[in-house]
Amino acid sequence: MKKTFKFYIALWGAKAGTILLKLLRKNATYFPGKFALSVCPDFMGRIDKPKTIIGVTGTNGKTTVCNMIEDILKENNYDFIDNKYGSNIDSGIATTLISGVNLRGKAKKDLAVLEIDERSASRVFPYLTPTYLICTNLFRDSLMRNAHTEFIASILTKYIPKETKLIVNADDLICSNIAPNNDKIYFSIDRLETDTEKCNNIVRDIIVCPKCNTKLEYDYVRYHHIGKAHCPNCDFKSPEADFIAKKINFEEKEMIVESKDGQAEIIKLANTNVINIYNILAVTVLLKQLELTCEQINNGIENLKIVETRFSEETIDGSKVKIVTHLAKGMNPIACSRAFEYAKTTDGNKVAIVIVDDLHEDAKGTENIAWQYDTDYEFLNDESIRQVIIAGPRYLDGYVRMRMANVPQEKIVYVRDEIEATSMANLEEIDKVVILHDLYSIEETERIKAKIKEMVKEKESK
Amino acid sequence: MKIEVLFPEFGNLFGDTSNIEYLKKCLPDAEIIETSINNEPVFTKENVNLIYLGPSSERAQEMIIGKLKPYKDKIQELIDNNIVFLFTGNAIEILGKYIENEDGSKIEGLGIFDIYAKRDMMNRKNCNVLGKYEDIEIVGFKSQFTYTYGDNENNYFINLDVGFGLNEESKLEGIKVNNFIGTYVIGPILILNPLLTKKILIMMGIEQPKLALEEETMQAYEYRLEEFKRKFRDNK
Repeated sequence: MKKTFKFYIALWGAKAGTILLKLLRKNATYFPGKFALSVCPDFMGRIDKPKTIIGVTGTNGKTTVCNMIEDILKENNYDFIDNKYGSNIDSGIATTLISGVNLRGKAKKDLAVLEIDERSASRVFPYLTPTYLICTNLFRDSLMRNAHTEFIASILTKYIPKETKLIVNADDLICSNIAPNNDKIYFSIDRLETDTEKCNNIVRDIIVCPKCNTKLEYDYVRYHHIGKAHCPNCDFKSPEADFIAKKINFEEKEMIVESKDGQAEIIKLANTNVINIYNILAVTVLLKQLELTCEQINNGIENLKIVETRFSEETIDGSKVKIVTHLAKGMNPIACSRAFEYAKTTDGNKVAIVIVDDLHEDAKGTENIAWQYDTDYEFLNDESIRQVIIAGPRYLDGYVRMRMANVPQEKIVYVRDEIEATSMANLEEIDKVVILHDLYSIEETERIKAKIKEMVKEKESK
Repeated sequence: MKIEVLFPEFGNLFGDTSNIEYLKKCLPDAEIIETSINNEPVFTKENVNLIYLGPSSERAQEMIIGKLKPYKDKIQELIDNNIVFLFTGNAIEILGKYIENEDGSKIEGLGIFDIYAKRDMMNRKNCNVLGKYEDIEIVGFKSQFTYTYGDNENNYFINLDVGFGLNEESKLEGIKVNNFIGTYVIGPILILNPLLTKKILIMMGIEQPKLALEEETMQAYEYRLEEFKRKFRDNK
């Protein structure tokens, strides 16, 4: 697309806006792009873009995957633009592209790493062709925005440019089937000891074969619709992977990544939770396309900075009790179910504190709590979880949900105020306090942590 | 008691199957029959006390229309005979005249109800719902890609105080004909509305219904009712 007068007005206005926002010490990660798109709606089509564009989309793990790619590339002295501190919708991506050009609209760098919201496909892909696009997975997400996975998969299929090479999860039958005519590289994790014959989750976003409606048969289920499946009636099945993670060594934190041509390499794992193994695998496959060596990738992984807001664990001074915080993104049934499963399977006797209400939604009015019934609260009904504490504006809904999951009444504390609720924690013979919290409840989490520490110290001093 | 859940492999998008889980808790002896799309619905040959269908994707919705078309007369007969139906989310559109896509193409429905839906896939419509059904108040949530048109003045389900009805202009939500209830309200409608659940159990022929977790669900219902009135009704 040609650069028009309108384009330059949009570009210079956005550049001036960026300088002004910086002078005012305001965040310039969204507005410049929003301004440019309002002046010139096809701005992203007209601006020069780096030669190689890496896109990352999917329901869960986009940010983590992008952060890892960026950290490893930085460690290996690559120079690139990214939307790490900006939004992942069209205006955020436009802002990033603006930061990457000079006043004539010429690209200053050869590489871009962009997190792209899957719902924004229709506003991004007509103007921007990723060289590689990772799709981490596709699950049901916020229903008010994303509706259902077929909708998201259909817009991705419709808008992903046909020249883009996709890197997709072969163990996800929804994600692996988007854009059927594009070139694809599939990644997969070999069967794990923790895989099961039957699904233990409420939600499976694909139950029957999309070709003939016959119930899919799973060779093994990992979680939700993730696993290896085939249709007993037709040829529909999980695709064969180009890269398979094998022999995962949870102690040594490493895995063997085997490619289709039989090449096997040891790749380090920053974190051995399955979702993160998928994330590192996707990152590894992508970086191999950029011709990074195994050593370069491993060096980068070893120096990764894990973002603390997603998971943290600490032992309280002068005590054996641990406090674990685990992000359980509200309104996202899969993310919460994974967090609840963690609370069940992590060792020791536990108190679980659940603050998963979306406080942003609540501030706007009220939260549609339908997602709670897609979420496996049933995992919290476990002997090792001695007490479940539910707080937040939706505490009564949470209580009903727990009772629907058959959690015994006497194990549940439900109080709106999180500190009042926390003060009712029974820490007798407890090894861990697991705080399962929403993205917008970081401050509340910190307050709960402080309260628990105070309670443990008081108990120890007696 | 027999409850037939139609096509649960599709009609389970927004926590909707929790309604059946709640009915199971209220009626521990009830037989729950799950009919998948490749099987014949049981209501075609046996008596059932409740037929449930939840919201599905647009593709599944079209398949379900194809599946149920041969049973149009049977469904009409069951509605006339006061069999209880609960169709939630976009399930009601299956029984309408047609569903129109953005490009003007139409998918013909069963034509049992004189309504039609228009899809607008890039604009999702969400609202909170507060309104009256007979003498009880209903609370809930709607989230959909369609607005529906047609006259439901004489056969609506909820008279709304808060939220949109069949479409933006309407305050009359859903369809209620005899014991057929069709509503765009999604998710755990029966758990959120214990008083409605009680009424449905009575419609199903249970004289003195006992709700499961009655105290818990009533407490949450009353809290939400008060919250919706305070937050939405007074400043609508």
